[in-house]
Amino acid sequence: VSGESLMAGKVSPRVDDPVLLEGPTLGSLTDRISALALRERAFIWWWLALLPTGFLTLVLIGSIIWLFYAGVGIWGIDWPVMWGFAIINYVWWIGIASGGTFISALFYLMRTEWRTSINRIAESMTLFAAACAGIFPVLHLGRPWLFYWLFPYPNTMGYWPQWRSPLLWDFYAILTYVTSSILFWYLGLIPDMASLRDRAATRGKQIVYGVLAFGFRGTGRQWRHWHATYAILAAIMAPLVCSVHSIVGLDFAGAATVGWHSTQFPPFFIFGAFLSGFAMVIVLILPLRRLLRLEQFITGRHIDVLGRLMATSSLALTYSYMMDAFTTWYGADAAERTMFVARTTGMYWYIYWGTILLNVALPQLMWVRRLRMNQMIMLLVSVLVVVGMWMERYEIVVTSLHRTRLPSAWGNYHGSWFDWSTLLGTVGFFFFGMLLIVRLVPVISMSEMRAMLLKKQS
Amino acid sequence: MSGQWRCIEQLERDPAFLDRAAREFPMLAEALASERAGTPGRRQVLRLFGAALAMGGLAACTSGKPSGVLIPAVRIPPGLVPGQPDHYATAHVHAGYALGTVVTHQMDRPIKVEGNPNHPSSLGATDPFAQAEVLSFYDPAREAQVMNRGQPSDRQHLLTAVADARAHMAADKGAGFRLLTGTVTSPTLAAQIDRLLQTWPAARWHQWEPFSRDNALKGAQIAYGSAIDVVPHLDAADVILGIDSDLIEGVPGWVRFARDLTSRRNPTRTPHMSRIYAIEPAPTLLGSIADHRFVAGPAALHETVMAITAAILHGGSTASAPPWVQPLVDDLKAAHGRAFIHAGPDQPAELHALIHAMNEALGGRGSTYDLIAPVAHRAEAQSDSLAALVADTQAGRVTTLLIIDSNPVFTAPGFAEALQCVPRSVAITGEADETAQACTWSAPMTHAWESWADARGHDGTATILQPQALPLYGGIAPAEAVALFTDPFPSPVLALVQATWKPSFGGDFASAWRSALAAGVVSNTASAKSDAKLRPEAARATPATPPSGMRISFRPDPSLSDGRYASNPWLQELPRPFTKLVWDNPLLIPPALADRLKLRNGDLVELSVNGRRMTMPVWMQPGQAADTLVAWCGNGRRVAGLHAGFDLYPLTGQNATATVNKAHGTYRLASTIHHNLLFPDISDVVKHATLQTFQTRPNFAKEVERPEIYHRHPPGPAQWAMSVDLNSCIGCNACVIACQAENNIPTVGKEQVEMEREMQWLRIDRYYEGTPEQPTTFFQPMLCMHCEKAPCELVCPVGATVHDSEGLNVMVYNRCIGTRFCSNNCPYKVRRFNFYDYGGDQQRPAVSWNPDVTVRGRGVMEKCTYCLQRIAAARITADRENRHVGPQEVRTACQAACPTQAFTFGDQSNPDSDVVKRKQSPLDYELLEDQHTHPRTTYEALVRNPNPKIAETRA
Repeated sequence: VSGESLMAGKVSPRVDDPVLLEGPTLGSLTDRISALALRERAFIWWWLALLPTGFLTLVLIGSIIWLFYAGVGIWGIDWPVMWGFAIINYVWWIGIASGGTFISALFYLMRTEWRTSINRIAESMTLFAAACAGIFPVLHLGRPWLFYWLFPYPNTMGYWPQWRSPLLWDFYAILTYVTSSILFWYLGLIPDMASLRDRAATRGKQIVYGVLAFGFRGTGRQWRHWHATYAILAAIMAPLVCSVHSIVGLDFAGAATVGWHSTQFPPFFIFGAFLSGFAMVIVLILPLRRLLRLEQFITGRHIDVLGRLMATSSLALTYSYMMDAFTTWYGADAAERTMFVARTTGMYWYIYWGTILLNVALPQLMWVRRLRMNQMIMLLVSVLVVVGMWMERYEIVVTSLHRTRLPSAWGNYHGSWFDWSTLLGTVGFFFFGMLLIVRLVPVISMSEMRAMLLKKQS
Repeated sequence: MSGQWRCIEQLERDPAFLDRAAREFPMLAEALASERAGTPGRRQVLRLFGAALAMGGLAACTSGKPSGVLIPAVRIPPGLVPGQPDHYATAHVHAGYALGTVVTHQMDRPIKVEGNPNHPSSLGATDPFAQAEVLSFYDPAREAQVMNRGQPSDRQHLLTAVADARAHMAADKGAGFRLLTGTVTSPTLAAQIDRLLQTWPAARWHQWEPFSRDNALKGAQIAYGSAIDVVPHLDAADVILGIDSDLIEGVPGWVRFARDLTSRRNPTRTPHMSRIYAIEPAPTLLGSIADHRFVAGPAALHETVMAITAAILHGGSTASAPPWVQPLVDDLKAAHGRAFIHAGPDQPAELHALIHAMNEALGGRGSTYDLIAPVAHRAEAQSDSLAALVADTQAGRVTTLLIIDSNPVFTAPGFAEALQCVPRSVAITGEADETAQACTWSAPMTHAWESWADARGHDGTATILQPQALPLYGGIAPAEAVALFTDPFPSPVLALVQATWKPSFGGDFASAWRSALAAGVVSNTASAKSDAKLRPEAARATPATPPSGMRISFRPDPSLSDGRYASNPWLQELPRPFTKLVWDNPLLIPPALADRLKLRNGDLVELSVNGRRMTMPVWMQPGQAADTLVAWCGNGRRVAGLHAGFDLYPLTGQNATATVNKAHGTYRLASTIHHNLLFPDISDVVKHATLQTFQTRPNFAKEVERPEIYHRHPPGPAQWAMSVDLNSCIGCNACVIACQAENNIPTVGKEQVEMEREMQWLRIDRYYEGTPEQPTTFFQPMLCMHCEKAPCELVCPVGATVHDSEGLNVMVYNRCIGTRFCSNNCPYKVRRFNFYDYGGDQQRPAVSWNPDVTVRGRGVMEKCTYCLQRIAAARITADRENRHVGPQEVRTACQAACPTQAFTFGDQSNPDSDVVKRKQSPLDYELLEDQHTHPRTTYEALVRNPNPKIAETRA
């Protein structure tokens, strides 16, 4: 592969690509990747992308300010559908976040080679998706300024949390998850920060990256400690991503509500999380590969494996959908059946069948090698899967609640303008954050890439 | 010299002043005249001026508006204990008739209405209107200002105008004077009116209620030769036939009748369950609890009733009538002396006469009903009365028209135009309504809680209404207003009322007066039984055959009556019994018409009645006859009335044949039942069976006992529980408003109800079973079940909803952060959430809230507490007296208000309590028992008593 064709971005991925195309040496690899963060001026496309995402971030901030001023009545939630977009978006974002953790932590423990060049993007995705997810539990509250009452802190009110509520554990789970995601991401970044410090041309950048590098100098001791800590964190993160999703599933399964009260929810939610997480990773790396000219590092091998992962998790999710229908049919609860019929044929039928189409049918295309290697098709499928996963959460939250046990309390639900502005605002904020990462931080873990290269050379 | 100050000597010489003084203050004029004549009167003039000043000062003291901030008195008035409620008896007067009430006061301000157990129309219960009176009393939009031709004026100028009118009346013996009131039962007001008519013999008095009972009155005149009132004793009736009847929703005394009727509806408490038949073109509350409900449009109803009449009165055949008529007739005849037939006000006078004849023939007089002289003073056919007034007005024969507490400009089409011919019209009204605006003079009327009055109940029992508070806006009492037209210085209203009762109270007036006030009724004032003899004409009366075609029936809005309560947000937002609509009054159409015109709820139609057209939305009402439209009047007020709904009065008063055509567009209607479904079987929610089934399987409502893993019992000294008897619930909504008043529940407005965010803690669920043409209706009051294993408590992360030691599921508002998980997890969906700051948005003065109940803020969940504040009050009393709370000591607001005693509340750990007895009923069942929530609120299953001979008429 010539450097010229690489620069022109004309390299098509192939299934039998190695994880790293021929060419880079230890030095040139570090040069190329650190140059992306250290370059003087940003790309034009970067500025063009920053505008709408920045605007949407402002929309998010505006929506939140108005929400705090006016109350959750500005949303479409009602009686009996007391949960709406806030919970849907929360589950959606936390699901997306988990995909990144899965790739970076689980596959790290399994010493998988292809993980190395995409784990930084995946972890950054986790970071911002978790941030988007993390704001919703607070926004969701009727009195958000009292969210800290979920902490068991000593106080004069004699107040103590109610430990039987899944919501409380959910709060701790997400708090743990967000905290450890940040730590994991940052820990992996430390050696790269040191590289950037060493290569920075200006004093300002040297100081900033120097501070962020925490005095990492690449001594053997530091490397040993860094590797140990990273492995321990990865070992914590891998089960954590399952526990946080189980807890999210238990938020629903722990209730006696029609449509939620099901023992399969924890694995069901984990499957869904992986599907949306893998899809979102694909949504991010395909354009970045082209725009940042990373074809050398993100090869057909990566695309191939991600496509197959997406198809596999879709099969797992399909199993859960089938079980959901089966237990409803097999169980004796008339209310469950009424709700399920309403879910599949009622006013929200398009949500259910859209979910099936986008999460079950569409990802199966990824079993076909030719389609997997077509970046446009893969991007399209991934975007639609991400949308489909949002619809799945809509189906779980809204259609379950709109057919309650007592027919007198049956209701409808529609998202309001503010529901949509908040959702789109978080989407904007997510990509806004990703753009900042792309600009300021090495998008590929240089230290790990060098380690991989060394291993290959030896 | 400045024109502002003039000495008395100057005034003496001013003829204009002397003239005005003569009219306003005759005594002052006399004094001035004597001064002029040289007699020593100057001192007297000064004294009179001084007195006027002093009285002006007094007046200024007493007409204070309630301020937004509540400051307790620095020196507590004697006898007043802060936090300790007081109770004063009075009555809620609706369309003239009194419903005895007791008003609860906190720190001297009325905050809650309860029924008066001593009053025969109430027996301790109320209707929704009486419950909502507290909000109307504090309504900041009440009329507060004397107005003259649209300009602010004052009482003195009004009195001057009245004096001028008196002068004219003196000249022409009152020939140009007309008085218009509603139905009058008040002996004091009646005495004043009589005195007015004696003083000015040429004056005329007219009465007008938009939904009068003229047909019943005329029917009585045919049957007995004079007006007569029927007082049913439904507890003695085995078989009841209602023909388009408003027996338990509109007729004066219905609260009492509902109690009597339902006392025979629960087979576990009555040895002989009554049987109710209803023949009606549109759903009524009587029809909803009837054992047989036959839908019949006007023509079919006429034919059927004539067949029944023929069979009962003349032994005729029912061969041509529907097959169920003969068994019905047999049933009525078999229950000789224990049967009662009632027809609604829409039915023609001749039919009412026939019913009198049938009731006599069935031997019910004296047992299932009594006849008494009319309670209303000088009962007359009011539509004729108003027509006469309009005719006189248009002919220019009316120079002064006094309208008291009536709103004919809104309720009588054509009246507004006629009113313009009257040079001097005076409206004394509670709110600045359409009539007040159209009259040359308008003045605020004192609220029934602000002045002395009296009124009679449905059986004639009189109540003396005592003031509950100082007038908020000043005002004139009705009796005072009438008196002013005969006497420049009428006695105070108190003296007028006392004068009425002095003769009958006899020797010890003071103690008799006090006991009448304390009891809320004047003893032995019920009307004596009439011994009127049925005239043979009654049985021969022949109602005209109704013309064919689509007929429109104008009815008072179930929540607003004829519109007089349209300014009350509680009542506007009170879901109507069948449709559960709020804030609106669409045209109610039968399902068949909806099918034919492809109409859906909320679609606009063009309604045409006698050439008058109106575009309005429709709402499909199951169980309405295919040729019947129902239009609720009362909403759509042009002034006041909260700008809701449609004014249908312009279409009333004429031939009621209507045409409906689909128009373009839709209109958004808000209903609290979002899915109007018909269920093939709703018995998993509302358990029900026939009497036969109950007799063979008394435990039909019980489910199989399921094994329990663990069941903890709260340790408290009392265990609160409730039982709701579905056999009693008639869906009248009194409990809903009682709960709203007691628990400071906000209204949210039409838009928020549309968004499914209503706040009432207690709702009455309505279910239909069967077909849209012939549905069976079920009402089920739904409130917090206080589950022993409450799903809501488990899921709250901050422990804002917890169980107390007495088995209550309590909501800690301060602790709630609004995750709303509790509502999602509540199988009964009885939790309400403050999506906005509804409580803070209420347009009511701070003094009107119940101080014992927190007003919830934004973002907080709330729900029924079993009236925890009442339990707490009883607990405090019991603790002070070192005893347990008694078995029947606590009564929840819904329980107290319920006309039919459907609710029973009490301590289920105390074997003496009523609730234990009710829960031992074989009908007792837990709603959604399979959820293992162990609700403390249980229901008694519904049993109906259909006639076995009428096969499958309830399709």
